[in-house]
Amino acid sequence: MNGIEQETADGCTLIRLRGEVDLSWSQQVRQAVLEALSTSQRVGVVLSEVSYIDSSGIAALVEGFQNARSKGSGFALVAVSDSVRAVLELARLDRVFPIVADIEAIPDLSGTAAWKP
Amino acid sequence: MSSVPAMQHDSARADQARALAFLADLSETLAVSLDLRQTLSEAVNRIADFMGAEAASLFLLDESGSTLECRVCVGPIDIAGLRIPTGQGVVGRAVAENASQVVADALNDSRVDHSTDSDTGFVTRSLLCAPLATAKGPIGALEVVNKRSGGAFTADDAEILRLIAAPTSLAINNARMANELVQQARMKREFDLARRMQKSLLPKRRRNGFPLLGVNLPAHEISGDFYDYFDLPDGRIGFFIGDVSGKGLDAALLMVRVASLLRWIGKEGTPPESWLERVNEELCQTSLDGRFVCALVGHCDRLARHVHIAAAGFPPALLYRRGEFTEFLSGGAPLGILPGMTFDGHEIDLDEASLYCFSDGVTDVRDAQRQTIGSEGVRALIERHAGASAEPRLRGMFSELKHLRLVDDTTLLLIERMHPHGPEVLLKRRFPARPEQMREIRSLLRTTLDDAGVETGIRDKLVLAIDEACCNIIRHAYGPKDSGDIDLHLTSDGGILEFRLFDTAPPVDPARVRPKPLGECRSGGLGVALIDSVMDDWKLQARPDGKGNRLVMHKRISLTRRNGEDHE
Repeated sequence: MNGIEQETADGCTLIRLRGEVDLSWSQQVRQAVLEALSTSQRVGVVLSEVSYIDSSGIAALVEGFQNARSKGSGFALVAVSDSVRAVLELARLDRVFPIVADIEAIPDLSGTAAWKP
Repeated sequence: MSSVPAMQHDSARADQARALAFLADLSETLAVSLDLRQTLSEAVNRIADFMGAEAASLFLLDESGSTLECRVCVGPIDIAGLRIPTGQGVVGRAVAENASQVVADALNDSRVDHSTDSDTGFVTRSLLCAPLATAKGPIGALEVVNKRSGGAFTADDAEILRLIAAPTSLAINNARMANELVQQARMKREFDLARRMQKSLLPKRRRNGFPLLGVNLPAHEISGDFYDYFDLPDGRIGFFIGDVSGKGLDAALLMVRVASLLRWIGKEGTPPESWLERVNEELCQTSLDGRFVCALVGHCDRLARHVHIAAAGFPPALLYRRGEFTEFLSGGAPLGILPGMTFDGHEIDLDEASLYCFSDGVTDVRDAQRQTIGSEGVRALIERHAGASAEPRLRGMFSELKHLRLVDDTTLLLIERMHPHGPEVLLKRRFPARPEQMREIRSLLRTTLDDAGVETGIRDKLVLAIDEACCNIIRHAYGPKDSGDIDLHLTSDGGILEFRLFDTAPPVDPARVRPKPLGECRSGGLGVALIDSVMDDWKLQARPDGKGNRLVMHKRISLTRRNGEDHE
C-alpha cells in the first residue's frame, strides 16, 4: 500500500515512498519533500518500492529539486525502480534529476558540479 | 657385489613402463573409437599379444544379467557366441564375485569347465580372468588363456589384466550410454511429430462471425483432448469436444481414432443423441483396453440462437447469461464402456448468452494451495473476464489458468453469437471523477490490456497516458467546483486501440490544451505531454450538445500471441 516514511541520519534526510504515487496523495509527497528541504541540507527520495508514478508525482519531485537548487542544498532520487525510471525516461527527465544508486551518493550540494551522471 | 638384483629391478621397471605405455595406448584407442565392435576386436588381439597368451576373449552380460556371451575372441578356437550362466566356470565366477580369477593349473582346478576343450582338442593349461567393472557392477569379463612361454599367469599378470579391463569397460559403458541418448532423442523427435500431427487435427480458427471458438492446452507433449467443428448440409454447424481417459501415447492414438469417428458420423447431421449412440456402438465393437471417452456433441445455427447438445460423461456445459449460470448435465455414461447405451440431449435457446464446454482439465487446475479450482473456480474465472469479447476473453482466461498448475490437458469450446465486423469492445467503464478511483482503474486497464495481448512496456505507458487524461478531467475539466463521472471505452480494431473518455464537465477549449516540450524541468503541463508522447494521435472535442467533453486517443499495437492458445 501507499506510504511515506522519513528518517534522518548524518544530517541527511531520506524520504522513502511506497506504492503507487498518484493524484490522490501526491500533495502529501510534495509537502514531505519541501518540509525535509526546509530542515535538512541533504535530501534523498527513495523510490525503490514505487510501482507507479504519474505526472503529479513527478511534479512534486521537480518542485523539490528546484527548491533544493535555489537553496544550494543536496537533492537526489535514490534507487529508482524500473517503473519510475520508465516514466522519467518518457518525460525525458532521467537526465535532469540527480539519480543515485544508494544513500552515500547523495550530493552535498546540488548542481552539476556536485553530481555526475 | 652381485648385479643380479639390480638387473631384476631394471627389468621389472622396464615391464612396468611397457605396461603403462600399452595401457595408455589402449585407453586412447578405446576412447576415440567410433565403431566399438571393430575396436574391441582389435583391442582383444592386442591384449592377447601383450599378455603373451594363446587365446583371449571378451564376455558381456545379456540384458537379463543371468547369462554371459562371448562377443570377441582370438586364438585357435572360435568361441564367439558361447553362452555361460553367471556364476559358472571361471568367467561366470569373475562376474558373480566381481573379482579377478587366477588359475595356475587348469587341469586340476574345479573352477574350470573343460567341455569346450574336449569338443575341440584344445588344452587349457592356465587362465586369467578379470571382471569388466562399472559403478553399477560388472558388465562382463576379459579372459586370457595359456601363457605362450609355458608356465602359469602370475599375480602381476592378474594386476595388469585388471588395469586393462578398466578402460575396456569404460568404453563399452560410454558406447551404451551414447546409444541410449540417441534412442531418447529419437523418441523425443517422434513425440514432437505426434504433437504437431495432433495440433494439425484441431480445426482452423474461423472468423467473420463464426459462433465457435476453441482452445486446447496440452499438459504434456501430447494430448488426450480434442475438439472440432464443421458445416452441416443444412447450413448449421456441427461441433464436438472430448477427452480420452488416461495420458500418454496410447490415449493420444485413441483420441485420433475417436475424433475421426465423431467427425465421420456427425458430418451427416445425425441428431446429437443418436450421434453419440452410433459412436458408442462403434467403439464398443473393439476393445479399448479399459480406456473410455468423454465427449459432448452438438449442433448450432450460425447466429448461435439455438444450440442442441448431448454429452457422454462430459463435465456439465455452463451457460452464462448476464451474471447467471445454468448447468447442463451430461445425459449418459462415457463412450466405449457398454454397447446399447442411450443419451439425453438438451435444446438451449442461447440468444445473446454464452455456452462454455470444457474438459475436466479446466476444473482440475490447481491453485496456489494445490486445491482444484472446481466448478466454482471456473464460474469465477468466466465472470472475471465476462466484459471482454470472445477472443480476448478466452485468451485472458487461459493466461490466468496457465499461472496456476495445469495437471491435465485443458480444452474449452465457446459457443456464442460473435459480431463479424467492426471494433471489438475491450472495456466499458463508468466511474466517479475522483483521484481515489484511479488506482482501481489502472489495475483494470492493466488486466484488459494484458488480455488483449499488449506487451508489458507499452501497456504501462498506455495506463500512464489514460491516468493522465483522467487526472486532467478531474483537475481541470471538473475542477474543485464540479463533480461527475468519467466514461472510459476501450475498443480494438485491426491492431489499433481506441481509448475514448467522456465527461459531463463544462466544455474545455481544445486550443488551450497543448503539450509542452518534454525534458523541461517544470512542474506543470507534463500530463498532456506524456499523452502526446505515448499515443499515436489524440483529439479533444466539446460534446455536440454542449454537455461535457470527449477525448479520443489512438495507439497502434503489435499483439503478442502466446503458444498453444490459438490455432490460426
